[in-house]
Order: sequence, then structure tokens, then C-alpha cells
Amino acid sequence: MNLAAVALLLLVFGLVVFDWITLRGKNRRALLLESAAFVGGAFFIAFPNRATALAHLVGIGRGVDFLLYPIVIWLVRESLLTRRRRHEDGERLTRLARAVAIAEARTLGDYSSNRAPPQSSGRSASTTT
Amino acid sequence: MSLAVLIPAYNDVAPLARTLRALGERADEAGGVTVFLVDDGSEPAIDPEALPHANLRVVLARHPMNLGQGAALETARQLALREEPFDAYVTMDADGQHRAEDVLSLARAIADGADVAFGNRFLGDSNVPRMRAAILRAARVFEWAITGLRLADAHNGLRAFSGRALARIAIHQNRMAHATEIKQQVSRAGPLVVVEVPVTVRYTRESLAKGQTSLGALVIVRDLFLHYLFGEHE
Repeated sequence: MNLAAVALLLLVFGLVVFDWITLRGKNRRALLLESAAFVGGAFFIAFPNRATALAHLVGIGRGVDFLLYPIVIWLVRESLLTRRRRHEDGERLTRLARAVAIAEARTLGDYSSNRAPPQSSGRSASTTT
Repeated sequence: MSLAVLIPAYNDVAPLARTLRALGERADEAGGVTVFLVDDGSEPAIDPEALPHANLRVVLARHPMNLGQGAALETARQLALREEPFDAYVTMDADGQHRAEDVLSLARAIADGADVAFGNRFLGDSNVPRMRAAILRAARVFEWAITGLRLADAHNGLRAFSGRALARIAIHQNRMAHATEIKQQVSRAGPLVVVEVPVTVRYTRESLAKGQTSLGALVIVRDLFLHYLFGEHE
């Protein structure tokens, strides 16, 4: 095992330990899933030949590429979906804030005495104070 | 003529108060003015007591958080459309760079039969800073390309609408891209009479500090693209 592999393994296990400690039992299932993925990753870091063997099975040259291709595809898609979700959440929040603003709108003052105010339509959100 | 003035406001009360006072002084000339003022989550909240409303009727609404000028304008639009129809609806900024007399001349254009009147800074004698003017020239070409509407002034908060025109636009762009979006919608709304009216915009230190920066142009393009990708399209 070379120096880079050792460093990567330390990083992976460090991150898992850090997450277990800081999250303290919250999101336990997500942590288990994360740990499983990291253990899988650690396996291929420790035994890169296994990854290469798998890669050759499907006609990819290097084990690293075998792992990277699906991960990149997944990440690009994930980032697009996240952006869309953020956009939709923003629109929902806007509608909610607007509904609150309109429901709580108030009216100050009135037209000058020479003009009658518009007929109240009953739909008006404003209340005279 | 009955006039609705739509004003999005954020934080700075002093120029807003000056704007309201100037509108109040001209209210009789306009035949009565209702201001639909949306406080876009100012901190602290705009105090109704601090707003001069002599001669005006002011409908004040407050966003619980800051959403952006486009969002505030849309709230004002929806508030205005809940009431009996006005003869003209004018949008203006709260930072003191727009003049009450220009609001009236835009409203007059609507009374004279236009559906949409855009204020044009370059026809009036505005002191547009040179850098700003250069960006606006580029923006004019960009907007012509994507909206199909050829206007001399690309981004100006002074606009007027007839009731039927206002009912046909709906602003989804919460931030500065709403100006472009409004033009897109006007251009797609079908046969509307669109005119440009000369206005004078006074650039002051406070309006420049609050206004758009050159970087803002890039943010607008990004927001338009995001809406193109993810937004609701009727």
C-alpha cells in the first residue's frame, strides 16, 4: 500500500468517526449508509487491483475510472436536482410570504376630501386604521 | 383619473418619505392617488407613523423577510388588482431617484390610450453615469434579443400600465431580473399599445449605493437562465 492509499484510508475513517461523534446518534440510518459506502470505498483503496479486475470485466481500463464514471454522473444529476428543488422551495416561500403580507396589509390615510374613496369591494385586503 | 402607484421599499425611509410627500403634493392633479407600498422585509420594519400620507391613501404591506424588488412589486401588483380598477398603475422606486411629475406624465400616457408606458432616461435629462449608460446600452441589445421589444431604455423602474395590461403580467423574478421579465411578458401578452415617455432620473449617492452594480447584470442573466430552466411557464 502506498502513501496516498494510507492517507486516503485515514481520511475516510477519520470522517466516519467524526460524523458518528458529532451527530451523536441522530440520523443513525443515514450514518450507517454513509459508513457502508465509505467501507466499500476503503476496500477499493486498499486493494486497487480488485477494482481494476472489475473494470476489465466491463471493458474499462482502470479501476479508478470504473468507480469515477458512475459517481460523476450521479453527482451532476444530484446537483441539478438540488438546484431545481431550491428554486421550487424559493417560489413556495415567496408565495407564502406574499400571502402573509397581503393578509396583513393595512391602509393609512385616505383620499383628499374632494374625492370619494373607491367602493369597497369586499375582496380588499386592507383594513382602515 | 384615479391613479395607483406601486412602490417596493427596502430599509431607507428618508427618500421614501420624500417620494410620498412629492406624490401627495401632486395627488389632486392626478385625481386621487393610492400608493401600494410593499416593505420588503426592512430591518427594522418601516414604521407607518414615519410615512407622510397627507393627501394620499397608502396601502402598506410587509414581507416577513427580504425577497427582492421583483417580489415586492408583484405583491404590490396583486394588492392593487384586488381593488376597484384604477385608470392607471405606475411603478416607481423608493430611493428618491424618480420624480412625481414623471409618474403623472406616465399615467397620462395610459389615460391617452397606451396600455404600457416605459420611462426613458435618455429622452429626458437624467444624469446617467457613463459606466451605467454603457451597461444599459449592452442590456438594451440583450433585451431586444430575448424579449423582442425594442426600447431605448433597458432597465428603469418607472413604468405605467392600464388595468388590462397589469392583469396580464405576473412577476416570477424576485430580484432584479423582473425588469426584463416584465418586458418579456408585455411582448407576449398580445396586442398592447406600448409607448416610451421621457423621464428624468436623478442619480444621488444613496440611489447609486443601493442600485445595481455592473456585477448585477451577470446576476440578472443567471436568474433569467435559472427561471428558463426551472421556472413556471404559462
